[in-house]
Amino acid sequence: MKKILYFLSIALTLVGATSCDKEFLNVQPLDRFADQAVWNDPILIQDYINNIYVGIGHGFAGSLQFALSDECMWPGYEKHCKSNIGPTDISGFGGNFDPSCQNAYKNIRACNQFFEKIETSANIDKATKDKMRGEVFFMRAYVYSKLVSFYGGVPIIKNVYGLNDDFLAPRNSFEECINRIVSDCDSAASLVNPSDKGRPTKGAALALKSRILLYAASDLYNSNGSWAGDFAHPELISYIGGDRTVRWQKAKDAAKDVIDLGIYSLYKGEPVLGENIAKNYGDIFTLKETTEDIFVRFISPDLGSWWGQNNPGLLSQPNGWHCWGAGNPYNSLVDNYEMADGTKFSWTNPVQAADPYENREPRFYASILYDGAVWKPRPLDLIARDSIGIVQASGVEKWDAKTSKIITIWGMDTRRGGVEDWNGGYTSYYIRKGMDPKFDAQFFRQDAPWRYIRYTEVLLNYAEACIGLVKEDEAKIYINKIRKRAGLPDITETGQDLVDRYRNERRLELVFEEHRFFDVRRWMIASQTYQNAEGLRIIHKLNADKITTTPAFTKINVQTRTWNDRFYFLPIGLDEMNKNSNLIQNPLY
Amino acid sequence: MKKDQFLPYAIRKCGLLKLLFIIKFTLLFLVISVGQVFASDTYSQIKKSSLDLKKTSIEEVLTKIEDNTQTNAQQITVKGNITDANSGEPLVGVNIVVEGTEIGAISDLSGQYSIQVPDQNSVLVFSYIGYLSTKVSVSGRSEIDITLLLDVEGLDEVVVVGYGTKSKATLTGSVAVVKGDDLIRSQSINVSNSIAGKLSGVISVTRSGEPGSDGSVLRVRGENTLNNNDALIVVDGVPGRSLDRIDPNSIETISVLKDASAAIYGSQAANGVILITTKRGKTGKPQIIVNANQGFSQPTRTPNLLNAADYATSINEVEEYAKRTPRYSDDDIQKFKDGSDPWGHPNTDWFSSTYKSWSKQSMFNMNLSGGSETFRYFVSMGTKYQDAYYKNSATNYNQYDFRSNLDADINKYISVGFDVSGRMEDRNYPTRSSGDILWMLVRGKPTEPAYWPDGKAGPDIEFGNNPVVISTSQTGYNRNKGYSLNSNFKLNIKVPWIKGLTMAGNAAIDKNFNFSKTFIKPWYLYQWDKLTYDVNNIPVLTKAKRGVDQASLNESMADNQNLLLYGLISYEKTIAENHHLSVMAGSESRVAKGDYFSAYRGYFESTVLEQLDAGGITGITNGGNAYNQPRLHYFGRLNYNFKDKYLAEFVWRVDGSYIFPEDNRFGFFPGVSLGWRMSEEKFWKDKISFIQGFKLRASYGQTGNDRIEEWRYLTSYAFGDRNSSFITNINQENKILYENGIPNPNVTWEVANQGDIGFDALLLKNKLSITFDYFDYRRSNILWNRNLSVPLTTGLVLPPENIGKVANRGFDFEVSYKDNAGDFKYEVSVTGGLAKNKILFWDEVPGRPDYQTSTGHPMPTDPNYPDNNLFYQVTGVYKDSAQVANSFHWAGARPGDLIFKDVNKDSIIDGNDRVRSYKNDLPTLQGGLSFRFQYKQFDLSILFHGSAGAERHISVLGGDFGNYLQSDFDDRWTTANPGASKPRTSNRNTEYWRSFDNTYFLYKTDFIRLKNLEFGYSLNPAICSKMGLQGFRAYVSGTNLLTFSPLKDFDPEDNAGSMNGGSGMNYIVPKIVNFGLSVTF
Repeated sequence: MKKILYFLSIALTLVGATSCDKEFLNVQPLDRFADQAVWNDPILIQDYINNIYVGIGHGFAGSLQFALSDECMWPGYEKHCKSNIGPTDISGFGGNFDPSCQNAYKNIRACNQFFEKIETSANIDKATKDKMRGEVFFMRAYVYSKLVSFYGGVPIIKNVYGLNDDFLAPRNSFEECINRIVSDCDSAASLVNPSDKGRPTKGAALALKSRILLYAASDLYNSNGSWAGDFAHPELISYIGGDRTVRWQKAKDAAKDVIDLGIYSLYKGEPVLGENIAKNYGDIFTLKETTEDIFVRFISPDLGSWWGQNNPGLLSQPNGWHCWGAGNPYNSLVDNYEMADGTKFSWTNPVQAADPYENREPRFYASILYDGAVWKPRPLDLIARDSIGIVQASGVEKWDAKTSKIITIWGMDTRRGGVEDWNGGYTSYYIRKGMDPKFDAQFFRQDAPWRYIRYTEVLLNYAEACIGLVKEDEAKIYINKIRKRAGLPDITETGQDLVDRYRNERRLELVFEEHRFFDVRRWMIASQTYQNAEGLRIIHKLNADKITTTPAFTKINVQTRTWNDRFYFLPIGLDEMNKNSNLIQNPLY
Repeated sequence: MKKDQFLPYAIRKCGLLKLLFIIKFTLLFLVISVGQVFASDTYSQIKKSSLDLKKTSIEEVLTKIEDNTQTNAQQITVKGNITDANSGEPLVGVNIVVEGTEIGAISDLSGQYSIQVPDQNSVLVFSYIGYLSTKVSVSGRSEIDITLLLDVEGLDEVVVVGYGTKSKATLTGSVAVVKGDDLIRSQSINVSNSIAGKLSGVISVTRSGEPGSDGSVLRVRGENTLNNNDALIVVDGVPGRSLDRIDPNSIETISVLKDASAAIYGSQAANGVILITTKRGKTGKPQIIVNANQGFSQPTRTPNLLNAADYATSINEVEEYAKRTPRYSDDDIQKFKDGSDPWGHPNTDWFSSTYKSWSKQSMFNMNLSGGSETFRYFVSMGTKYQDAYYKNSATNYNQYDFRSNLDADINKYISVGFDVSGRMEDRNYPTRSSGDILWMLVRGKPTEPAYWPDGKAGPDIEFGNNPVVISTSQTGYNRNKGYSLNSNFKLNIKVPWIKGLTMAGNAAIDKNFNFSKTFIKPWYLYQWDKLTYDVNNIPVLTKAKRGVDQASLNESMADNQNLLLYGLISYEKTIAENHHLSVMAGSESRVAKGDYFSAYRGYFESTVLEQLDAGGITGITNGGNAYNQPRLHYFGRLNYNFKDKYLAEFVWRVDGSYIFPEDNRFGFFPGVSLGWRMSEEKFWKDKISFIQGFKLRASYGQTGNDRIEEWRYLTSYAFGDRNSSFITNINQENKILYENGIPNPNVTWEVANQGDIGFDALLLKNKLSITFDYFDYRRSNILWNRNLSVPLTTGLVLPPENIGKVANRGFDFEVSYKDNAGDFKYEVSVTGGLAKNKILFWDEVPGRPDYQTSTGHPMPTDPNYPDNNLFYQVTGVYKDSAQVANSFHWAGARPGDLIFKDVNKDSIIDGNDRVRSYKNDLPTLQGGLSFRFQYKQFDLSILFHGSAGAERHISVLGGDFGNYLQSDFDDRWTTANPGASKPRTSNRNTEYWRSFDNTYFLYKTDFIRLKNLEFGYSLNPAICSKMGLQGFRAYVSGTNLLTFSPLKDFDPEDNAGSMNGGSGMNYIVPKIVNFGLSVTF
């Protein structure tokens, strides 16, 4: 009997050993936090807020947004620049440049969720909560400001949606969106109190408000949608009626608020004689900090998940430095840089045409790499061919004694130079602004921050608002501050001439900083700027002595562009339209 | 007595798993020690003891057994003649063993044998490959002639099913079986590559041939779910072990549970279960088998690319279309053609510069098996080596493995099994991936040198990537060492007091360690500016550091553990002779745990010390994580059969998985199957006797799939990728925490409803066997996200919800015919299967036209990106500008472009003109045709593998950054050839018809290939025995020797999906020729 029990015990144990315990399956994740753990811990909440920053992207992420305007060309945006983007292929809007509102609304959700959860967070004092609130107000305002700039009025989302909610949100009017952004900026300005330099300050909140109010006062948003044919909902893309002067005044006041803070100044805004003004200007974009930074995104050279991410050097420097040469400045952009004395450059001036890169204004040298510009020493494999590091964006004719023929030797930075030449530029120009020569970009990422907002923009915003209010003298004071820093004489124009001069100043000063795409739209000058992209072909022709050469410049068409008014705003994707019956498509799509 | 107290305590308090684990092991050792007491001095109980166990105590049993083992030693010689039952031909080399002893003999050339038997009641076992084993009692005779029957599958075969075996005759489920001996014929280092065409209903596709990562994708009856479609792999009863890396010589059988019979594996069985059973020792004298083979491999297909002259012509066309001056002069093109200027005008074939003609691979295995009545062993050791295609290859795979499967009968009631197997997988790769290398080979411009004429490496294509260099160890190395140790401890108890009652327990611990080390150092390439010559007029090359500036090292270590415990009770009883009943029930717990960490340092000052400590100070990083995955299972099986004619089986499983919230944690999975052996009926035997066997089978069941993302029921937040970290205060990196999607508190299993009806038939005196199954599967509760129908403005990342439904129907079959004509034996078999799935419901973008919707059609290639299956419809090539002008065309279209069809006739070519392709990259129809011939000492086996129904989008982008396909070049549009069938030359993806996926670049990947061919010669057994051998066979074999496919430039099984970015390219599938020997001692 004892043995029967014995065997029975074995049997039961064999079966029983593996069962019985419900707790057995109650394991906790080892790679993530539960809800409560996060929302009662100020450090984890801060981490959560940090993720919103990641979601808003930045200009060094690799999007080449400036190639969507008349600053640069890039073959990847051929279709866009022909205004051929439509609701069925908005997803083709490429790369890291994501106006597709997917990330934007994820961020808005994250902000809204923060506001909801922070209410009930225990163990966190009010000061900390307010500080965080301010930060999130700013982020939300920033995301909406981008969305509105791309799409016009967009749905303003207040809910933190759950699984079974009604998801169909209609678009809010342009005016409602602007009001929302302004109110978030105001809230942010009153609450933020950052201890870290990469976080929004009161100045950042006010500067963002200045930007969006300036946009709101611009032509496009005060056109009542007159360009849009019989579009039934102009309130989505413009103010309807109202007093535009009030809008200019608000824009002016907002910029003034930033100026009056008194904490920002133009970096080396008062150059003394002999100072290297071009270097001063260039440094604004490669230094870690300057006196005019308002809101920046710091970057670590060690971080980045793909080659081009956070790597403007690799993306845009010439192929003769083993880089990709993406985003080639337009001929017309280069032509718009003034001579050092403030006069206009002209190809019809024989002296200037013979040597177009001589005696130009300092910002040209800091912004553009041109044929013959001294850049930095070539990589080791190419140093034998060029020990100084002079941009070779041209062909050079040589006399070949053996065959008694002229041969053309193409520079290393052309598309025929034998060094990764499929990456060569098309216009004979490359971007210099923002490129830090300290770093060998084929191997290393540079570490300069992306500047979302700098003080110069605020001054320009102020000047533009003044022009809008016909306070031309006041406008010129601020424009001339910027020109002074650039080593240029004051401007004196009035009326439309002043407007044009201002616009050119803004174009050149803020070039490659992701402003032009929006500026040409809100000024409604896009039809003039979406013209075929021109570059130069430069050949150093052999002179009769068969030794010396003379450069010959030929304008060439490098990209066909056309403007269609619908491209003032991006189309809403067809799929989104189908998902949400309350959405209204932008005009002319 | 201490022990007795301990056990009930354990039963009462089965709380913490850790405790249970200790109990389990204590128990097992306990039983062994007790067992040894039982078993002392009782060897070789040859005589069957006939004891009425119910009435005797253990002591009495022991005494009786002792008595019965007293043997009377009368040696007798038995002789006889062995012939084939059908042909009457003598059978040579038949193995004769005296049952229960190690005494054996082999029949000679004339089929005669002679053997000494210990007593007149001895039983002789005659076994011969391909024939049914026969047992004969000597019964005092001295001459016994014997005829052996051909073994046609299905007579006395035992099939491994979940938690047990079944006789094939009474099997009711749909189970495909392949024997280890058949697998070995493929001579593949990776077992998953040996399965193609051998198992009906199993679809196999080899996506990559890279040594060490060349596993085939295996799909049992196609794909049924939008999520993970992997079958459950169970090796010797333990899930989660590797099918790929097991030594093929140690496999006894592979069975695939295709239908509801898989329900015994419950929550992970929905995609079928592949059961691998390893070999075990058989009673008999020790046998040593040595297998060695040496193989040579090369890619099945490499793309046919342009030579330098044609490439230059193409580039000139690109320039012409862009209104630029031609890049190459006629003189240049002539020099490319005639090779007169190897420095300035090379004509490089990148593939032949980088690949050697044949790469070596080898396998060696030695195993020892045998045993006495009470102790049996199978011990095996093996090594495998695989080189890559590259010259000076940094890539190779080394494997060392061993296995020891031991069985011991402690006494009549208790037996134990102790299995240990271990494996070292040593993978070596260069620091650039095989995808990068292949991408560079395809891209490599023929006008650039791989090597300069003086032998120095030429310049890179980009990032330092010159394939002749990055395929070697000049860039550093990427080593990956995997160690796995699997152990099984089994205990089987026949309960002496209740006949038919047995209990079994099993504890398995599997440990896997992985250590990976990637050391990347700068490498050096040579540039020539095409201008500079030295005094001897030899070009001057510049050496340059490429790739990285300073070395870096990344190391990682993973430690994974899988612990499985199960216990089961089974009971068998025959009631009133005709009612056979068997019941089995058990429980199982499984815990998978693991830890991982990694460490990185860059900025090495020197490349001499390749250790972390030698790295730079800045940018040091590390990382780590862990997981813990418990599962709990209860299962059972009930079999009933009446007169072996009417068969019924019910299997069930209750599964608990940590993946799901507490309330939805347990699922119930039943399966029922019925069989009717009609051929056993009198009417059949009377009327349809030409069909010797016929069994009708039907089954229906529910299984589950829990292989989805974890923790979706929790609101949770995870740290984001450090690479996108936010940085404040200039250099201060910040952590980022993101909401891990919103939770779905109701998340539960996917449910597979599986119906199957089929038959097994034996005809023509058992020579022809046919198995056929039709199946109808419905997967419901598929976890799928509603993201496509929810507006982006919600900002929601929706969790998977149990909303998806997919149907999958098809059939599979196996027909084999086996016969011999004199010395010529042959066997022909065909296996095949068709599986077509259809999405019944899932989340789709609303408002799409019918021709773009996917519901009601097969699953897209990647369900996460359903729009990848939308293609513009190409109707031809624009001849001239008049044709362009007269059509609704893409903005900017010009002559030579592909014509996109205005499908919706709205006069605009846009995204609405894309049409869904209902094919995906997984074949729907696959089959194998195999022949086996044997003539005297020669044998030949041939296997064709065919596949149809899949397609792939392949667009190889050429241009100023890389080469073109010859097939895109021939008959391309030019102004001189306006009637061309192919579009004009383009540059990268700048043309709309290159950047927007269209049907022109959609290829069928159907193929028929000569998967295996093996020709062998076995030495005559008589000669063997003179040499002291039991067997000797030499063979030559080939894999993928011939391929017939409409896809010419790539292997049809390859993964070369997106040739337009490098990603997705893989290592080309190999063609292998093997020479081997198998010697049995």
